[in-house]
Amino acid sequence: MSKRQLAMVMDLNKCIGCQTCTVACKTQWTNRNGREYMYWNNVETYPGTGYPKNWMELGGGFDAAGDLQPGVIPNLEADYGVPWDYNYESLMGGQADSNTFHPHISPTWGPNWDEDEGAGAFPQDNYFFYLPRICNHCTNPGCLSACPRDAIFKREEDGVVLVDLDRCQGYRYCIAGCPYKKIYFNPKISKSEKCILCFPRIEQGLPPACAQQCVGRIRFVGFLDDEESQVHKLVHKYKVALGLRSDYGTQPNVYYIPPTESPAKFDAEGKIIEGSTRLPVGELEKLFGPEVHDAIKTLKTEMKKRKETGVSELMDLLIAYQHSDMFRLDNNYYQQVAKENKRNPLAPVDTRYIAGKFTKAGGHH
Amino acid sequence: MKKLLTTILSLGVAASAALASEHAINAVKVSEKLDAVKADSAVWSKAKFETVILYPQTAIYMNDKKANALPENVNPKAKKVQVGALYDGNNIALLVKWADGTKDVQSNASTTSYSDGFAVQFAGISKVPQVLPYIGMGSEGRPVVVHLQKAMETVYEPNGNKDVAHQINRQQTGLFGKELAEFDAKVAALGNHDYEKVFVGEGYRSLTEIKDGSVKSNAAMTYAANGWTGTLSRPLKDAYVNLNGTVPVSIAVWDGSKMGRNGIKNLSPWIAINLEGQKPNAAMHAELTTDSKGDPVKGKEAAAANGCNGCHQIETSDPVSFLSPSLKYVGGYSSVAYLRESILKPSAVVVPGYNRNAHANTPWYNIEKGKRVSTMTDYGFLDKETVDNIVAYLKSLKAEVE
Repeated sequence: MSKRQLAMVMDLNKCIGCQTCTVACKTQWTNRNGREYMYWNNVETYPGTGYPKNWMELGGGFDAAGDLQPGVIPNLEADYGVPWDYNYESLMGGQADSNTFHPHISPTWGPNWDEDEGAGAFPQDNYFFYLPRICNHCTNPGCLSACPRDAIFKREEDGVVLVDLDRCQGYRYCIAGCPYKKIYFNPKISKSEKCILCFPRIEQGLPPACAQQCVGRIRFVGFLDDEESQVHKLVHKYKVALGLRSDYGTQPNVYYIPPTESPAKFDAEGKIIEGSTRLPVGELEKLFGPEVHDAIKTLKTEMKKRKETGVSELMDLLIAYQHSDMFRLDNNYYQQVAKENKRNPLAPVDTRYIAGKFTKAGGHH
Repeated sequence: MKKLLTTILSLGVAASAALASEHAINAVKVSEKLDAVKADSAVWSKAKFETVILYPQTAIYMNDKKANALPENVNPKAKKVQVGALYDGNNIALLVKWADGTKDVQSNASTTSYSDGFAVQFAGISKVPQVLPYIGMGSEGRPVVVHLQKAMETVYEPNGNKDVAHQINRQQTGLFGKELAEFDAKVAALGNHDYEKVFVGEGYRSLTEIKDGSVKSNAAMTYAANGWTGTLSRPLKDAYVNLNGTVPVSIAVWDGSKMGRNGIKNLSPWIAINLEGQKPNAAMHAELTTDSKGDPVKGKEAAAANGCNGCHQIETSDPVSFLSPSLKYVGGYSSVAYLRESILKPSAVVVPGYNRNAHANTPWYNIEKGKRVSTMTDYGFLDKETVDNIVAYLKSLKAEVE
């Protein structure tokens, strides 16, 4: 366990599946040099196959006795999908095959191949929701535990899990060990790579690219031990944000507000079945554990309270009137850490989000 | 001797295999310079080749479900390789030939492709040279140097020359035609074509690549006629090793078709290379070639009586244990001296083993005053004969030769 832990909370009631986060991450980190197929951030449709294909069935994580479980390393073509390119060059050059615009391979699979399909029968009871996923920067990471070279480490100062590319020898046990399959093999450099929680941005007072670009304002970022942080309130005070598949035993640090609102079902005549709800709570329990029932209850109670009295701290938090209300980063803290480790302290490039526990000056308010 | 042979045979081990691996290799001194020697260099006709047996390394059970399920890995076989050695006064050169029905070159466009490869391990400079480092990449205070060569498609090294501009996707360069072709050529030129690495290590998990150029070595591997030929030349003396007289080496090969990498490999025990014309190190030679004197049948009984399989997987039928290294095929790659030491002084060599987090409830060791102290009981109370018998039994635990 690290000294402090950064966490992200994603409000699934607000995610519209626009993939802006995906694109923000991809253009920042993974559009080049063997990472083309990787999505450090992806948004998948649930229920669905997810990315990589059927990741929940590929093993990894820990059993009740705390033993790392074996897992499967996904295949690029069958499980991730080979990213394809188009023949821009021949089109521009007017060569023989330029009459048609076509991909360089015949695509057989890719992320979001089954986007928006969901489950159930249309129009009676079909349903789906979006599940954005990044590395969970786990407290007990499966990838770290699987590495036979100690090439993966968890930063003391904020719990960010990183790969030491000098030590990594491309054995890929980390991929088998991660139950979320959020660490990837870069075949061009024969090393593993993963989401870095945009630590170079975080240290300079900027939220991760995925969170800053989120148009639905679903992502909160802060330190879990900072009692004023949004993530602390959502995870520990109100207990409405829950880890994804905590049963894998890795203690994930990305938390989700479960989707509470879903339309009613229709009967055979197309009439609304009063009191019914399309989203089976059993599915939510599978993803977020039995605590999901209490979380949903709290969310519904607070929603009602807000409607009736106009007052609810939780609802105010979730509405996030200002984007800067979603992040509490801690530039002063990083400055101290840098000094202690004799590194160059980085000045913040944006002071709107840095009102953290140890930050005395700056900030939005 | 006849009785011993019969008992070894009854344990399902080929007797010839047990004896062949104890051969020493004579390195012939040549006048040709060896620093750039290749597999097809004429000088190899002077080398005296010996058969060395490489045993499957199964001390640790890794977490790759598919690799673990491959029949070739469930019942791994030992492998015969041919090794020849030469030296020229400044450099030592080794040539290793081994059969491999499939040429596996790791693709740079696949997440599930693995390469064939080979490695040569040398014992590092140590105050007590005849006490050899642990075969699995050395041990604390007893370092090793490992030369690794793998068959890889072009590999781009991100930390190599820090050329970020040529690491972007070609579609994002904004270049077309001739300029794009030039970009592609530059990218290809930046690719590190030869996956040759040198490491220092003091035990499993601790291997660290030597990147400062302080080891001048030259390794290569070529495939022809259903087999690989690997060559390595390196200085007899540098900051890490000082090779003279009797040189202990260990050889490993990986098979990509078995998803081989890391521990999924075949490994020889320490073998002696005698530099012809130099005074052999008698103590080390004895250490490397002496076989166990005990009775393996009595040793098996003693191992059962002392509850060894309470923590160690010994027979294939024993459950996989995360509490300790598997001894299933320990006899293949371990020396008699190492096995004896491990019984009498379990904390003399404690390799880091699994990540402490992977099997937190079954630690191999505790850390006391900064030292790894094995969780194994000290068996120093056993009499000499019993220890010899257990060692003989452990030495008999070998996989069949392919």
